[in-house]
Amino acid sequence: MHNVRPCRGPGVLARLELPEFPSPRPSPAGRGSSRAQSSKPLVATVSQTIGRQSSLSLCERTGVRGTWRPRFRSAGALLSLGGSLIALLSSTYAATLPKDLPFPLVERFESFGIKDGFPTHKVHCVLPASDGKLWVGTWKGLMVREEGKFRKIGVEDGLSHQMIVCLVEDTRTGDLWIGTMRGLNRYSAGRITVFTQTSCGLPNNVIYGLEILGDTLWVATAAGLGAMDLKTGTWSIYDHNNTVMHEPWVYSVTGAKDRLFVGVWGGGILEYELSKAIFKEHRDPDRDFHFDLVPDDGPVSDVTSWVAWADGILWQGTYFGLARYDGSRWRTWQEKKSPLLSNFVNCIYARGRVAWVGTDRGLSVTDGATWVNYRSNENGEGLIEIARPGQPMETRKIKTRLPDDFVLGISVDDHEAWFATSDGLGHGFFPPSAKTVTAAAAKNSTEKDKP
Amino acid sequence: MVGFANCGRCAYVDKEDKSTNYTTEPVLTPGTPSVLQIIAGEYPYYGNAPADMLPYRNIEPYYRYWLERLPFRGPGRDYPDPTNLTSLKVGLLSPPPYGPEAKRGEMSRKGVMLAFDEVNAARPPGKLPFELIEKADSPQWGSAANIAVEFSDKDVLGFIGTIDGDATHVALRVSLKIETFMVNCSDPDPTLTETQIPWLLRIFPDNRQQGYRLASLIVKERGLKRIVVLRTNNRPGRVGARPFVDAVRRLGSPILQEINFKEGERSFDTQVAVIKQAEPQAVLFWGNPAETGSAAARLRSAGVNAAFFGFDRLVDPQFAQFAGPAAEGATATFFFDPEKKDSAWTGFRQRFQKRYGIQPDIYAGYGYDGAQLLLDAINKAGPNRYRVHDQLTSLDEYRGVTGYMRFDGRWDNIAPVVTAHCKQGRWEFDPVASRQARLSNP
Repeated sequence: MHNVRPCRGPGVLARLELPEFPSPRPSPAGRGSSRAQSSKPLVATVSQTIGRQSSLSLCERTGVRGTWRPRFRSAGALLSLGGSLIALLSSTYAATLPKDLPFPLVERFESFGIKDGFPTHKVHCVLPASDGKLWVGTWKGLMVREEGKFRKIGVEDGLSHQMIVCLVEDTRTGDLWIGTMRGLNRYSAGRITVFTQTSCGLPNNVIYGLEILGDTLWVATAAGLGAMDLKTGTWSIYDHNNTVMHEPWVYSVTGAKDRLFVGVWGGGILEYELSKAIFKEHRDPDRDFHFDLVPDDGPVSDVTSWVAWADGILWQGTYFGLARYDGSRWRTWQEKKSPLLSNFVNCIYARGRVAWVGTDRGLSVTDGATWVNYRSNENGEGLIEIARPGQPMETRKIKTRLPDDFVLGISVDDHEAWFATSDGLGHGFFPPSAKTVTAAAAKNSTEKDKP
Repeated sequence: MVGFANCGRCAYVDKEDKSTNYTTEPVLTPGTPSVLQIIAGEYPYYGNAPADMLPYRNIEPYYRYWLERLPFRGPGRDYPDPTNLTSLKVGLLSPPPYGPEAKRGEMSRKGVMLAFDEVNAARPPGKLPFELIEKADSPQWGSAANIAVEFSDKDVLGFIGTIDGDATHVALRVSLKIETFMVNCSDPDPTLTETQIPWLLRIFPDNRQQGYRLASLIVKERGLKRIVVLRTNNRPGRVGARPFVDAVRRLGSPILQEINFKEGERSFDTQVAVIKQAEPQAVLFWGNPAETGSAAARLRSAGVNAAFFGFDRLVDPQFAQFAGPAAEGATATFFFDPEKKDSAWTGFRQRFQKRYGIQPDIYAGYGYDGAQLLLDAINKAGPNRYRVHDQLTSLDEYRGVTGYMRFDGRWDNIAPVVTAHCKQGRWEFDPVASRQARLSNP
């Protein structure tokens, strides 16, 4: 058997696009060095300057080596950059948060961790269940909050492995499905049932993602996508043998009404149309990981770490930036060229047309136009950064902050948000008026919330 | 009950990439200068590719990665050391003992074990010994992921492995979740480090370095324009040959054909017929030595007079054994001259010979170096995975028994490779001075 591949001919040179948000942010060279470098004030250096020069001076003044350089050689690009006013407004705690944003702001955080009985610092995932319980997956077991108190469920209680990676609730039965680093678990009426690759059709014991769509539980594993019929208990496996994926390394799965999106490591995103049983591939047109040739041309990378869908919008998380697909057009964002806090996207929660993006430098929230970032400064103080289209970025301090900026899991509803981080569980509160100020978001009610 | 698709999961055969949504990289006129300059303080771009082999070298991409290293920004460095340790554990993920990589894996394992023996023998009294936790992979996809979890369950402070690119990939993804560092000593898959996971250091020069050297040799030094690639029909073959295919296209000589063969193939009837029709000046082999040796023999007997080139596995004695007279004049890239006379390498060879009664190969050498690096990092950092991570990710260079290593922005060893020529069944290595690639920031 052989395969003869034709050579590709010459093509058309790609056109370079200008950045939408020229305001740069110094990139840390590491947690420790970041704190050391950013101890100098940012505010005065750039508040009244514009364009490329101000960007450079920001880098120089913050002492970050080579973190932001002019990449645009045309005069048009420079003019475009220069035309955008860059201002950072720093203040003490902002008594009133702005009310003109298309999604709610978190006005206050509280944290839970070892002091609250957690067995470890690291929290991977969080899921508020329909019965009011809060489920929290950690490095060392599953935590459940009932009547305000946390209780641990661990291997000693029958879980197949201590490291909980992902959770999903079957809202029709109340069953909780628990993905671990060694097997799938069902928690039903207080009983745990374990599913492993040797006891059922689970493709692999390392489970990265779970989704329930109709009567099917979809399981993203290190060796393919598993599908369990919840009525019959039968399994199907989707991998390189029966789909377009080249490698069966599946790392995320999300339902989208009549279809499924699957994040594949090195394979971009697979779109599976349920009614036709057809897989379609979304790949980065650049064909390479070293660069993004042009923005907005497709998935930002073929190495997908997360996919999330709501309201007809697909979001792709990668370690190379963030991408959005509305069914016809792609948008991409990277750090330094947009307000996205970091290219290293750990997780995304899609609600309405808004993505809550957990990165290794904090939380970015965006509808694709307006951005709000939550992170800590070098003194450990909480910061909110607000970037509106065509307006200067606004930075405010808040009294409370995320437990840690390394965000691994998110859950959001109308009233609150939960954050799984590398140093505990975060609880974010929206202002009481949040629902009224988020008319745009409310108008685009979340279809995902209506199974 | 498994619905379908459970058959053949172990026998992975690569398939044609049918996606058409790609930006086609133009073939530039030879001599087109690169606008991508190395900036002082940045790491060499694109695996230290020569300027004329850079992708889209006449335009500045919208965004370039790996000009600086990705830090791990999570917490953990200040976690208190465990107090109940009796040893400092390190994992070793080896290839399946009965698979095609078994021999190479066993040599790598021997190198690792020698390093453990020597380091433990030199530990001062009162210091905890290093303990090796060994696991062998299985051919089933995803097996390495399960093994990496087992390493975490054993509280290893880091792990070493493995040769097979597929297994290393899935283990690497787990390393991100378990936040445990992996040192790779034997996987040449260029895409491994392109996944952007900052928990990996690779000391084994990848196929990118060999691909650049071979492209330069064939197109620029030999002036050969009609090139055919014959490679294994699997993932390592696909991703391994790609840097070469891209590089010769960027030099203005796109390959005529990329032809696949199955592992274990011996007849090569179809492939030989297609290649002969193409009238190539150069044939590049990527695959295991028995297959490529057989292919070389068949091509010569069919009257194909093209020059033969190949990656490191051509240097394996099996290639010449299967190729017979067809091996004469073949050129291959290799990591270093195994007959080199520097004291680090000769000393290692003597110690290895004494310990095992056989001479080490390059897999043993890199296994030894990888283990030494990891053990040294643990020794300096203490029993804390995050501080071990910081030790290893701060490395820019290292000198081991295999030679000088230079690490780029993705923690790949970009030290130049050497070339060798098969003469009367023996491989003669070019002097180091003839290396084409130069370190940008030596």
